[in-house]
Amino acid sequence: MIIRINGIDETEKFGKSIGALLEAGDVICLNGDLGAGKTTISKAIGVGLEVEDYITSPTFTIINEYKGRLPLYHFDVYRLESGEELFDLGVDDYFYGKGVCLVEWAENIQESLPKERLEIWIFRTEEDKKRILEIKAFGNRYIKLLEELKK
Amino acid sequence: MKVLGLDTSTLMTTCAIMEDDLLLGEFSLNLDMSHSEALVPMIKSLMDNLKLRMEELDLIAVSTGPGSFTGLRIGVTTAKSFAHVLNKPIVGVSSLEVLANNIFVDGIIVPMMDARRDRVFTAIYRRKLNHLEEVLKPNAIEITELISYLKEDASEATLVGDGSVVYREELTSSLNGSIRFSPGELNLSRGSSVAKLGLIKYLKDGSDDFYTLAPDYLRDSQAERNLKLKR
Repeated sequence: MIIRINGIDETEKFGKSIGALLEAGDVICLNGDLGAGKTTISKAIGVGLEVEDYITSPTFTIINEYKGRLPLYHFDVYRLESGEELFDLGVDDYFYGKGVCLVEWAENIQESLPKERLEIWIFRTEEDKKRILEIKAFGNRYIKLLEELKK
Repeated sequence: MKVLGLDTSTLMTTCAIMEDDLLLGEFSLNLDMSHSEALVPMIKSLMDNLKLRMEELDLIAVSTGPGSFTGLRIGVTTAKSFAHVLNKPIVGVSSLEVLANNIFVDGIIVPMMDARRDRVFTAIYRRKLNHLEEVLKPNAIEITELISYLKEDASEATLVGDGSVVYREELTSSLNGSIRFSPGELNLSRGSSVAKLGLIKYLKDGSDDFYTLAPDYLRDSQAERNLKLKR
């Protein structure tokens, strides 16, 4: 699915509607260049999940945990160089746990991601505030999620 | 001998105290991500209810893996700290053997834990009365590989552990008739099994070193994984 987004308000609206639809065990991957808006979408997904804490990018901590309607595990794997490092974080306990995982820079750890997941790719356009989002669903759960999102 | 057994290799947090062959008490909770919060209070509650002091324990037994990364670290660290502080012997046992110990039937016993991405942590044991003989050593393999292994060995196998629940469909359709599934209440790790197997191991081989005892995550070597990626 391809979505065109005009500005931050629409980004937030989009993130919130995803957050509201998420279920325990969901894995959402975010890809896009620096400044494309991954953290903006993450924050909005957090709002949709009823997280009250202020969500910041876990660039240095790699994983931040939040309490919302479901536990939210927010990853930024930009600084990771191999799946080995990810193993040392016990990542499978998160990916296959009872919370929601949100992974920024997921393309860096492609081989360690669960087979079933939702991928959001953010592309800049010539206009400063506009973005194109490409959303890919892998597995039945995420195909269903994508259909609900279209409504 | 009074033995404290604990296992945090799965979603289950479980601890038990046995005196030789007698189970004095056991406390288990099947709750996700609960190991760090639950384990020590559970041990305390068990000890308090049994009116035992930690100094009265003679041995600490712990499952060293395979299993949940975070869970194993919490269980092994807790056991090592107790052994260190109390100056008591410690033994590590396989979490797969702990699962196999639940089953008391003839034939082979196959403990399976879901290792994700179509893989299982598994081993094969054969029961000889009170003893489990290792037929296939603990390993992380693809579920299809385990199925072809079991196809060759026609003898009736009893499957136990969450892996047998997750891959039940594949297992049934490929091995129909030659396998049995364990009932739900036997599919979970138990502190009493850890205590029992720990005591057997201690009487045979003596104490492990609390300083060097470490979780056994059973990961593939990096080389094996790179090879798989290339395929």
